[in-house]
Amino acid sequence: MRTARAIAQRELAASFRGLSGWIIIAVYLFITGVVFAVSALTPGEPASLRSFFGAAGWLLLPVAPAISMRLLSEEFRSGTIEMLLTSPVGGWSLVVGKFMAGMTFLLAMIAPTAVYPLILRIISDPPPDMGPVMSGYLLLILMGGTYLAIGTLASALTSNATLAFLTTFFAILIGLFAGLAGQFVPDVFKPVVYEFSVSARAADFARGVIDLSHVVFFAGFSAVCVAGAAVAVELRRWS
Amino acid sequence: MIEVDRIHKSFGPVRAVQGISFAVEPGKVTGLLGPNGAGKTTTIRMIAGFLAPDRGKVTIQGHDTIDQPLAARRLIGYLPETVPMYPEMRAREYLTYRCRLFGLGRPDRKKAVGWALERCRVADVADRRIGTLSKGYRQRVGLASVLVHNPPVLILDEPTNGLDPTQIGEARSLVTDLARDRTLLISSHILPEIERLCGRVIIVAGGVVKADGPVDGGGTGWGIAGGGRTVVVSVKVSKAGDEARLRALFASMPFVASAQAGKAEPAALRDGFQQWTLTCNEGGVDAKDAIASAAFANGLIVRELRSEAPSLERMFMRAIESDGAAA
Repeated sequence: MRTARAIAQRELAASFRGLSGWIIIAVYLFITGVVFAVSALTPGEPASLRSFFGAAGWLLLPVAPAISMRLLSEEFRSGTIEMLLTSPVGGWSLVVGKFMAGMTFLLAMIAPTAVYPLILRIISDPPPDMGPVMSGYLLLILMGGTYLAIGTLASALTSNATLAFLTTFFAILIGLFAGLAGQFVPDVFKPVVYEFSVSARAADFARGVIDLSHVVFFAGFSAVCVAGAAVAVELRRWS
Repeated sequence: MIEVDRIHKSFGPVRAVQGISFAVEPGKVTGLLGPNGAGKTTTIRMIAGFLAPDRGKVTIQGHDTIDQPLAARRLIGYLPETVPMYPEMRAREYLTYRCRLFGLGRPDRKKAVGWALERCRVADVADRRIGTLSKGYRQRVGLASVLVHNPPVLILDEPTNGLDPTQIGEARSLVTDLARDRTLLISSHILPEIERLCGRVIIVAGGVVKADGPVDGGGTGWGIAGGGRTVVVSVKVSKAGDEARLRALFASMPFVASAQAGKAEPAALRDGFQQWTLTCNEGGVDAKDAIASAAFANGLIVRELRSEAPSLERMFMRAIESDGAAA
């Protein structure tokens, strides 16, 4: 795990050294900030963060793939993967390190939004219910983590970052619309399709309900994707 | 100590490496030489553990690169031909990062980085971003980065690529120095470079080893037909038929691979002497002595008798063209 941490720290430092990391965070905070201001701070509106969490969740659709797309594909493209794979670093440590870097970036991006519920607490009377706020943040982190894990897998499969972005984007899109698509598939497949419906699970969280099965789904699906990425990286030696 | 045992590697229909075996001992620089596309880089990548061989195995100080990958890789410092590094990192940061990948503890890192920077003469650019460095500096920072954990085995793929003659000279003394207590394998397609850097050369072409032996003998000991020394002898020829008799005499000597007579023109045939160039096979016989005594026994008058080591270039060409060449 020490090597995974070294890899994560290097990756994170690189994403903050260029402009792109800052731009992603700035855009994310700007849009969620506008949504918050319009929906919750406007007089007459209820002191709820429902719209904010809706926007924050949907924004992860383009943002998470943008964070993850270069994680491994950039190493393949630039050839630095050769230095990593000839170091005493297992594929698992490498991929976990990359995923950790993505997660840390995600948390750094989401963390400043914590001022919105604080503002609401101060200015609104009665103060907002903190239950849905907590579950909303948990959902954001779980969803973001799952998206990043899908993105890490996509990035481990190609040296083309654009391709990794698009693959991740559409995979997430399928998850988001699985509920909708579920209405049109034969009944036998319905449970399977609904299982992958991110929207259905998100709806539960929005009500302030933390269902452990949802947590297990997001965490488990992420673990499978990250493990798949580790296998994909190790298989390169046998290509 | 690197041991390569009958490794094979194919990429789709391309059989890049077809059963290469050799062992590299510490103490001297070993060169892997071959034309472009010979399988050098694929071989080196399998030794470094970047690629897994389809068949055969590689061991580093006794550790199999597939069964004990982390133990084997810990012992290797491997610099790929393209010297891939992160352009946004400073040289010192990158070396520290490499230390962490190799599990060096925090107290050891600073010392190791300082030592490697000093050793490769890049201390003056330690705080510059790698992306802004010149090719020569980049190459040396790359070398420092694979040296930083002080590995007992160093593998350098085309290490003098892009260096100017002064830098090549420096690289040469550094490499020779490093080889003193390390196993050092270098690949190159440039013959004079191998000649200057290495004590031993392994020639590969078409995915197989064509020759393997010391460099300074100019190709002796490589086990190639006609790979021995060249003897130049000038013999007096006075009457017709002498040339044919000489040819028969040389042909009867078992150590002579081929005999070539100088042209029998007046200029070449000065004072009636004809110069012959004999290419000898490798062997224990001192060709000069044997030729001298044969000349004495046959009553020949010899004016010149000298032997020359074969040139490495001739041997290189011979090795590449030798049997089984697929290239």
